[in-house]
Formats: sequence, C-alpha cells, structure tokens
Amino acid sequence: ASCSMAGEEEFFLEERRFKQCCEDFVKHSQQIGDGWEWRTSQDLGDGYLSKTHFQVRNRHIPPDLKEKNNDNTEQMLFAHVEEPPDDSEAAGVCSAEEVIRYEYHVLYSSSYQVPVLYFRACFLDGRPLTLDEIWGSVHASYQARLQEGPWDTITQQEHPILGQPFFVLHPCRTNEFISAVLRGSQEQHRQTNYITLWLSTVGPVVGLNLPLSYAKLAPEQSTDADLL
Amino acid sequence: MTDDKDVLRDVWFGRIPTCFTLYQDEITEREAEPYYLLLPRISYLTLVTDKVKKHFQKVMRQEEVSEIWFEYEGTPLKWHYPIGLLFDLHASNTALPWSITVHFKNFPEKDLLHCHSKDVIEAHFMACIKEADALKHKSQVINEMQKKDHKQLWMGLQNDKFEQFWAINRKLMEYPPEENGFRYIPFRIYQATTERPFIQKLFRPIASGGQLHTLGDLLKDVCPSAIIPEDGEQKTQVMIHGIEPMLETPIQWLSEHMSYPDNFLHISIIPRPTD
Repeated sequence: ASCSMAGEEEFFLEERRFKQCCEDFVKHSQQIGDGWEWRTSQDLGDGYLSKTHFQVRNRHIPPDLKEKNNDNTEQMLFAHVEEPPDDSEAAGVCSAEEVIRYEYHVLYSSSYQVPVLYFRACFLDGRPLTLDEIWGSVHASYQARLQEGPWDTITQQEHPILGQPFFVLHPCRTNEFISAVLRGSQEQHRQTNYITLWLSTVGPVVGLNLPLSYAKLAPEQSTDADLL
Repeated sequence: MTDDKDVLRDVWFGRIPTCFTLYQDEITEREAEPYYLLLPRISYLTLVTDKVKKHFQKVMRQEEVSEIWFEYEGTPLKWHYPIGLLFDLHASNTALPWSITVHFKNFPEKDLLHCHSKDVIEAHFMACIKEADALKHKSQVINEMQKKDHKQLWMGLQNDKFEQFWAINRKLMEYPPEENGFRYIPFRIYQATTERPFIQKLFRPIASGGQLHTLGDLLKDVCPSAIIPEDGEQKTQVMIHGIEPMLETPIQWLSEHMSYPDNFLHISIIPRPTD
C-alpha cells in the first residue's frame, strides 16, 4: 500500500511520503508554469512547498457597509462577495483597484501527520491584510464550510520554520475527508497524489486554485502520460 | 524526599519579578512611572497585563493608544510563548527585575501575532493542548472530554487555580497500563540565535528495549549541539522553568511534571554565563 494506515479508517501521511508527493507536485507545476517550488531549510533539511502570486482585486465599498460595526463579521463577509453592481448602481459605490501579493506555503505537521496550509497576503507597500480582508475574497459557499466547529477555522499562527505570522487553516479535521476520498480511490485502484487531492479541496477556501491537469498526477509518476 | 506533586506546585506558582517601562517615544500627558508586577511563569503576557495597560493608558491620550505589545532589549516579545519561556530564553542570566518595555504604537506586524482579545489567547492555548494530546494519545483523551472540561483547563489557567486545572489535566497525563509512557513527547526546543523559532520532532519516551529515554537522549537526537561540548567546554545551558534538569532525567517524567499548562515541554538552549 502506498499510504501507511495507523488505524482502520485513517490514512496518515508519513513525512517521507509527504516529501515525495511534493516533489512530484513541483515537477508538474514546473511543466505547466504554475509557480510552485520546494524550499529546503538550511539547518535541519526539512522544507515546504511555496507559491507566490499577485492578484488585482476590485475593492467595493458599498456606502452602507461603512456604518456596520465590526461585531457582525459574518454579515460583512457576505456583503463583500456580492456581485459587482451594474452600471446603473455604479454611482453609489466607490471602488479601487489594488494589487495584493499572496503567499502560500504547505508544511508538514508531524503532530497530526498531515500537510498544513499557511498563507499571508499584503499590499504592495508591505501592509499585511487582516483576516477579515482576506476572508472578503473567499467565495460565499466556502465561508459556510469554515463556520463548522470551533477548531476548523483560520487563525493567525507563527510559521514553524520562518518564525513569522501567517494565517493557517487548522489541520485537525483534515483526515476525515481525506481518508474517505483516498479509500474510494484505493478501491478503484487509482493512484492519487495526496497533496493534489488535499490542496484541491482546501485551497479554494483561501483563494488558491489548482489547474485541472494536476489530477493526472500519480505517485511514482512515469513519463508516460497515459498512466491512469 | 520531595513528593512529585510538589514539583507540579512549584512549576505552577513560579513567578518572575518584572518592571514595565513605557517606551520613551510614546506621547504622554504626564510622566509615566514604571509598573512592577510578579509575572506567573506559566501564563501569557497578554493574559496577565491588564493592570499594566491601565496604568500607562492613564497618562496617554486615547488616540495614541492601539494594540499593546512588549519588547525586551529591542526584541519584540511573543505573547503566545509562555512568560517563563520568554524569560529563560532572553533574560535568565541577567539581574532581576526583568525590564520590559511597553509599546502602544507601531505594532511589529512581521514579528508578532495579534491579540485582540482573551479569546485569541484561549484559542491558542487550547490548540497547543490539543496538539500535545495528538502526540501523547492520538487525541483520544482530549476528544473524549466534554466542552466544559476544556473550559475548566482554560479557566484554571486564567484564574490561577491549580486544583481546578489539574482536576482535568491529570487525565491528559495518564497512559494505558500496558504502556510505560506517552506515544510521543510534546516538546519544543528554542534557541534565540536561530531563525527557526523552535525544533519539534516525533520522539518516543520509551526505547524499543523498554528503557526510559532521558533528556540527554532527546537532545542528542534532535539538537546535539546543545550537549556536545565545543573544545571541551560546555558553551550552553539547557533550561526548563529556570532550572537545568539533569540530562539523565527520564523524558517521560519531565513531560508529566515539568510541562507548561499547554502540556508542552518548552526547553531553552542558552549561552552559559562565563563567570
């Protein structure tokens, strides 16, 4: 079996396998120019996947939103993802274009034996985005998913290798959905790259999308693209 | 002979005499007197400094006050590290009281996590406890507890209630009778000189032959530079809660008795004083 199983139901990702999946993932990323790279830390030889991209965002500030107080974050978030107004409403809305630099890191958690997604965003002048500002760009349907459970949330944490503040999607529930999908995948004798599977599920929640070609990625990838 | 339970009390009630001084560039309406406080080693800066904040805000104008942050000799202090760890790591071999500078402006976004409310501290604290139990018990003990038990751990810490805290925490320190310890030991090793904030790896308290691993075994495995003497001289100290435990101490015992309330052993490697 390509995944080690600690119990009947759970697929745990060993660190060696994590590194291998990342290596295959980066190879594919390089083929399609998707910008992912592996960074190794100098002192201990561990490392992480990294991707930086820039996004132009249209910031809508509906006039009545300025009055809403910050206690009602949920309402504010949904207001942010409304469709942009058509021309007839444009007069009542101010909008500014901003360039935002997003950074995504995939690290391995030895405590939970799963990958963990770290991310941060800042404006070009270096000012970091707050969590609320980042949530504003998350699609409404994913926001609902995030509300489930006190620990399945985004929090600010210290990056374990860089020591700087990042936002983190909490890993403790990762195994629930990953195990179900991997089990189904194994039953059909389909090989799956754990990182592709996992990142395609959690990534969109925080504005990160994977091109469909990653789905062809399998462990022990040969150069024969017909494998699968 | 000291009872093991006395160690739990000594760890819980450890205090550091601290002097808080307002940063000189902060704008005040009159002179700000320093504020003295005994800080609990096991707690977090933003949890125990309400009085400090109030004291300095009295001499400042409202518009000059935003999120409080602390600094020691130019280094921003990470509120999410326990106070005792911060002291051991940065100031243990200096004269008391510990002199901390208080800031209300220019929050260092690249260095410090924000702490807008006590809820943030609670979430961080519980996340650490949860991770520690993932290592010790595959999360079985923490997941079996009710929400009110989790709340009791936090309230015990927040209100400095040893008995209340340990009524629940003792369950997190148990292990199955057929085992001789936890699955893995929750620990982090800190060195102020590295970019990496800490070292954390999987480490079993019991060797395959059944012997108890020691603190020395742990360091040899994950941080050998801490115990290998350079040119015959031991240049560093290994410090937990302000003391240097013997390297022969079983790591299982250290985990049960000298962990912080978050159930982690936070270990500092610091330069040995030369005199």
